[in-house]
Amino acid sequence: MAIKEYDVLIVGSGHSGGMAARMLTQKGISCLMLNAGPEADYANDRTAEASYQLPYRGFNKPGRLAHVFQANEANAEQWVDEKEVPYTHDPAKPYNWVRVRLLGGRSLFWARQSFRLSDFEFKAGDLEGTGVNWPISLADLDPYYSQVEAIFRVRGRKEGWPQFPDGNFVDGGMPRPTNESQSIKTFTALANQRNIPVSVMRFSEGVNGLASSINLLLPDALATGKLDIVSNAIVREISTDKKSGLVNGAHFVDRHSGREMHVKAKVVVLAAGTLESTRLLLNSGLANSSGVLGHYLHDQIYGVSVVASVPEARDGKATRELMGGNLFMPRFRNLKKDEKHDFIKGYCMLVESGASAQPFHFPLYGQELQQALDHYAGSCVQGSIFGERPARFENHVTIDKDVKDAWGIPALHVDVKDGDNEHNMARDAANTLEEIFTAAKWDMVAKTDKFFPPGYSIHEVGTARMGDDPKKSVLNKWNQSHDIKNLLVVDGSCFVTCGWQNPTMTILAVSMRASEHLADEMKKGNV
Amino acid sequence: MQALAAAPAVPLIAQQAATPPAPAAQAERGGRGRGPGAGPEMLEVTSSDSAAVPVAQFFTAPQFAALRRLSGLIQPAMNGSPGALECGAPEFLDFLIGVSPADRQQLYRNGLDALNTHAKKQFGKSFADVDDAQAHTVLKPMLVAVPWPKDPPREPLQAFLFAVREDIPMATRNSPEFAASAANAGRRVRGGGLVWKPIDPVYRG
Repeated sequence: MAIKEYDVLIVGSGHSGGMAARMLTQKGISCLMLNAGPEADYANDRTAEASYQLPYRGFNKPGRLAHVFQANEANAEQWVDEKEVPYTHDPAKPYNWVRVRLLGGRSLFWARQSFRLSDFEFKAGDLEGTGVNWPISLADLDPYYSQVEAIFRVRGRKEGWPQFPDGNFVDGGMPRPTNESQSIKTFTALANQRNIPVSVMRFSEGVNGLASSINLLLPDALATGKLDIVSNAIVREISTDKKSGLVNGAHFVDRHSGREMHVKAKVVVLAAGTLESTRLLLNSGLANSSGVLGHYLHDQIYGVSVVASVPEARDGKATRELMGGNLFMPRFRNLKKDEKHDFIKGYCMLVESGASAQPFHFPLYGQELQQALDHYAGSCVQGSIFGERPARFENHVTIDKDVKDAWGIPALHVDVKDGDNEHNMARDAANTLEEIFTAAKWDMVAKTDKFFPPGYSIHEVGTARMGDDPKKSVLNKWNQSHDIKNLLVVDGSCFVTCGWQNPTMTILAVSMRASEHLADEMKKGNV
Repeated sequence: MQALAAAPAVPLIAQQAATPPAPAAQAERGGRGRGPGAGPEMLEVTSSDSAAVPVAQFFTAPQFAALRRLSGLIQPAMNGSPGALECGAPEFLDFLIGVSPADRQQLYRNGLDALNTHAKKQFGKSFADVDDAQAHTVLKPMLVAVPWPKDPPREPLQAFLFAVREDIPMATRNSPEFAASAANAGRRVRGGGLVWKPIDPVYRG
């Protein structure tokens, strides 16, 4: 039997793994990609059904995917089965780990909001006085962001604001109509009066509505002839050479048969997603001389709902001139050292005009409720936020040796709790939205400063943070393990701070930068 | 992608709509060859809903009678659309709650029992037998506005009424009777769409 050795083993096929495969293979490096799940066949794995044809009429099977608020009966099969691949947490500390193991991972289903981090995030430690910065800056990532934005065809409006770095936007403009409704103009003017900058959403157009690894990254890598992809390969453990201490491949189990396999590679690149990569490192007993591995898990708060109704738009008078459009407000809090708030960091706000009130907004039922809904239809403006959760050492993951997945691999235990900072930030956001709505003389319909539990945003990052000090970080600034130079982690694990931004563009840029450096180092014989 | 669920106040994470690849491209990607001609033509079969009626078996008779009365109040027939009773919403909820986690079952059972208790105390009869005005007297203290559906009321009866105000309309709208009525009236029915089937499922014997 021929024993093949690849240059690089890549674990995971989402945005970070796809980018690593694309960059490395285009540099002439042979790669094997292992993906834990199957490849979806879009033509045959989906079927058109009406709600009444579904077994649970759209309610989803009770108790299934309890942690995946995004799940419904139509899309239930796309998520990881929580019974098959369990994780644990204290019931008092809920955590929503939302996973996809299909080839392409979560890149198949992301919201496509496309932002760069700014130096308010990369150098947050300077601003906040903690001294904990990323070991890289926006200038280091800028050329990679630009390449990623070209591949993903990012649309946006250039603003020139330091907390909202402009990108290499497609055509430099927006394909959607600008927001010209009167309610949007009113909101914009009132926000600007409060020094809140107002822009529009930035997003990846992709190709045919898809901006994923499977259509924008992996086809290029496969075209080089340097990439093999094995699906249904669940990696159990990274293997090491006992003499050198370097990694030399991985043990994996075939999802269908349970057959144990081993693959050899000169370098291992983990790109399985923040928590799966960290779980694999913890189960392998690697890369943790700092004791930091698994710590600093964080993501973004998503929630806060403030709804107001524009009086003149009620009773069927929500015309296009009056209602409609969306606004995006990047972070505007704590951009200066002398700002005084009861929270650090910041949040972005999303505002939509032309929404309707919902049944739960009214203590009514039957005809009376329907009349209220008709009265408010299309007359509402609503706002919500993404806000940064601080990275805290105590928010961490460990291996739960008592719980194993369907293939006998120990599960992850997640121990995360929100602090006052998150609640104070959400309260500030809800009050700010209410203040603007009230100043516009709109009638408040609903207001909450509540938000979803940790994990809901599907933006989890930080459990193998990068840094210059091997005693305080897991990875160096090139995403290499401080402990093992031929082991890299190129997904969101490496984040030091997440910001308020969707992390995808940064994950892609970091993966591209790390992979380019790895290729150069391999050619020099340094790795 | 949230079409099957009640619309949330805060939009849930949006998802991109993946465009199915063209057949040729799919073949290049290693499609599984389950195209037309792979076997005999599919035969037309009838759904159980159109051939039979469900047997209510979870709630007690008094609880189920209260649920039927409540369903008629919350989602009556209106604007040319059938209501919860015409659409079999109570019967479907008897099934759905019967297979739900224990806390959900308890919420419903306690809530329906409470309706009967309050109706008997105030009007000397079960909730199923009160008139509309009397029903409103019973229900009014339990009705609260909720700013965000992910943060439902904590008080059990308020929580129950919040739940049924979500579930009864959805069970009504997602019924075959509602769809048939809409089709007859030339209206579009919301909900459904592309549903993922199990993808390369593991055979576990």
